[in-house]
Amino acid sequence: MTFAIQFVIDVLSLGGAYALMALGLVIVYGILRLVNFAYGELIMVAGYTMFLFSGSGLPWLVMAAVAVIMAVLAGIATDYVAFRPVRAKSVTAVLITSFAFSTLLQNAALLFISPRPQTVPLPALFSQTVTIGGAITPLRNLITIAAAVILLALFALLMRRTVLGIAMRAAATNFTMARMLGVPANLIISSAFAISGFLAGVVGLLWIGRIGTVVPGIGLEPLLVAFIATVIGGMRSLSGAVIGGFLLALIDTTLNYTLSQDLLKFRDAFTFSLVILILLWRPEGLVKGPATGQRT
Amino acid sequence: MQITTKSLASLTALLLLAGTASAQDDKIIIGGAMCLTGVQAPLDTPGMKGAEVAVKYLNDNGGLLGKQVEFINVDGKSDPVTVGNAAVELIDKGADLIMAPCDFDFGSPASREAQEAGIVGISACASDPLYSSWSLGDKQFTLSMWNTTMGATAADFAFKEKGWKTAYVVTDQFIAYTKSLSKYFVDQFKANGGEILLEDTYTNGDNNFSAQLARLQALGKKPDVIFLSSYGQDIGVIIRALREVGYDAPVLGGDAYDDPGMHAALGESLGNNVFFVTHTFMTPDAHPDMQKFLDLYQQMHGAAPDTAFVATGWDTVMLMAEAVKAAGSTEGGAVAKALEDGKFKLLTGDLDYGTTEEGHVPNKAAVMVELKGGKPTFLGWRTPERLPAP
Repeated sequence: MTFAIQFVIDVLSLGGAYALMALGLVIVYGILRLVNFAYGELIMVAGYTMFLFSGSGLPWLVMAAVAVIMAVLAGIATDYVAFRPVRAKSVTAVLITSFAFSTLLQNAALLFISPRPQTVPLPALFSQTVTIGGAITPLRNLITIAAAVILLALFALLMRRTVLGIAMRAAATNFTMARMLGVPANLIISSAFAISGFLAGVVGLLWIGRIGTVVPGIGLEPLLVAFIATVIGGMRSLSGAVIGGFLLALIDTTLNYTLSQDLLKFRDAFTFSLVILILLWRPEGLVKGPATGQRT
Repeated sequence: MQITTKSLASLTALLLLAGTASAQDDKIIIGGAMCLTGVQAPLDTPGMKGAEVAVKYLNDNGGLLGKQVEFINVDGKSDPVTVGNAAVELIDKGADLIMAPCDFDFGSPASREAQEAGIVGISACASDPLYSSWSLGDKQFTLSMWNTTMGATAADFAFKEKGWKTAYVVTDQFIAYTKSLSKYFVDQFKANGGEILLEDTYTNGDNNFSAQLARLQALGKKPDVIFLSSYGQDIGVIIRALREVGYDAPVLGGDAYDDPGMHAALGESLGNNVFFVTHTFMTPDAHPDMQKFLDLYQQMHGAAPDTAFVATGWDTVMLMAEAVKAAGSTEGGAVAKALEDGKFKLLTGDLDYGTTEEGHVPNKAAVMVELKGGKPTFLGWRTPERLPAP
């Protein structure tokens, strides 16, 4: 029983983080049909903001808010620097500019801060533990689950009930048509980047909360996770990204718990084999997105 | 056509020779292929900064063999192919000695090029026993102790000094370093008579240790010591995870723990009862010349070093200088012989290389450090009596 509770908490907390990561990536992809490879660096920006403010004496929550705002600004900057100037040209151009922006941010951190890990302040709350049904778990895991639930609910509300959300969904379905009907393209795209930055900022706090330090390459793992989760879930669907995130966490955790020591070394090979199987079965991912729409 | 190619080739060769010869006349060039960007940067950047301090020190004190020493670094960019190309470029520029990155995977391409060119290459801190004359050639060395020494020192410290009889071993499957370190610890710990309760695997970057914890809890026994061989930020993640759920047994590991960022991240509450084997300690306790080095470093870089790995760079250059002095030239064979024959008292411990047949095994002392309240404290130098076979 204890074991089962532990397992469920692990899957949900890891899945919550993965789902938020994937959602931040897919919201931009849905509209632009382009993967933002500088997405991981938004997490890095949040981390380094925390590091730079660590000596300021501000309450942790204020620092966290500033970090999230910085991630949002970095998200919008990604749009202005890497996407907008070349958006109308070719997919290859945007692919390369987003890679370039990612490299630029990473190397800026490396040069101006340090290549070595820097400590990020964490609230004591993150390391406290609670016992649920005999399973001892850090409070951080429960916070992650709660944050994921709240953000996913807010996000669903935004997409369904607000003008901005409806416009974004329209743009994701058929961008040209939406523009013809008066949806301002630049505003929608910038909003998508801002939301992407917000999710990256929050996830960055939770993710770095597990680690305690930030390095220039911290965004690589989250980017990879987000990418795989969206591929499993369906590149075109927001709910698919969330499902993909939780599924990936379920696969990883199950393998972690059940594989024998000799096989555990090859866990990633098992994970990716399963991903391939899922894609053979559902080439477009688990959830199909809106049927129409060309890249704009 | 053939004639043209031939004459072009010989012309190039002549030019190269001329370039090399003129460079060698007035100065001695140490070429560094250290990685200043990418995953290897956290280890190589400090080494390079330490090397720069050493080169300045040599030049301020009359140079080497009456010549000035020049240090040129070409960024290896944490990519083995680029590291190899960087070494080729450095050799073309007239490098007499090569300083290779801090890891077998990233450093060996530079050493292979150095070997090809007949000059000595020394890795600043690669510790895998693969970094040997067996695999790289008779003019290649590593400044670091091998993982055999590191693992054995940890095992002897645990069993003989502290009397910890049972161990739980976690191995990160990240690189050769993390895997071989556990292997040699287990070998020595068992040879000492210790018992390994459980060996578990971790994947670098997971940031999730819960499955391993569940297995440890299912064991029903608490180990005397936890040996954790991981890399980078994950060490802190795992120690945090263990401590949070109440495993307060001592944690033991290798030089990857020598990271002030990790110590600060664990902080006062979690950074206790952690022990590690490393290269040196940044106080005069470790070496009488340490303060001199720290002062010079502060002068040159304007800040105190943020990791003890800076000493490996200083040592690499000073070791090269001593060997060149003993050999009386920078010729590869002569310098290699001087390195094999000599005994060196370095900031990172007394060093005595084995012969080419012995793989240039670095017989070296290691430092034990304890983390108390997030602050490292120096426990002293250790030299294991027996080493596991590499």
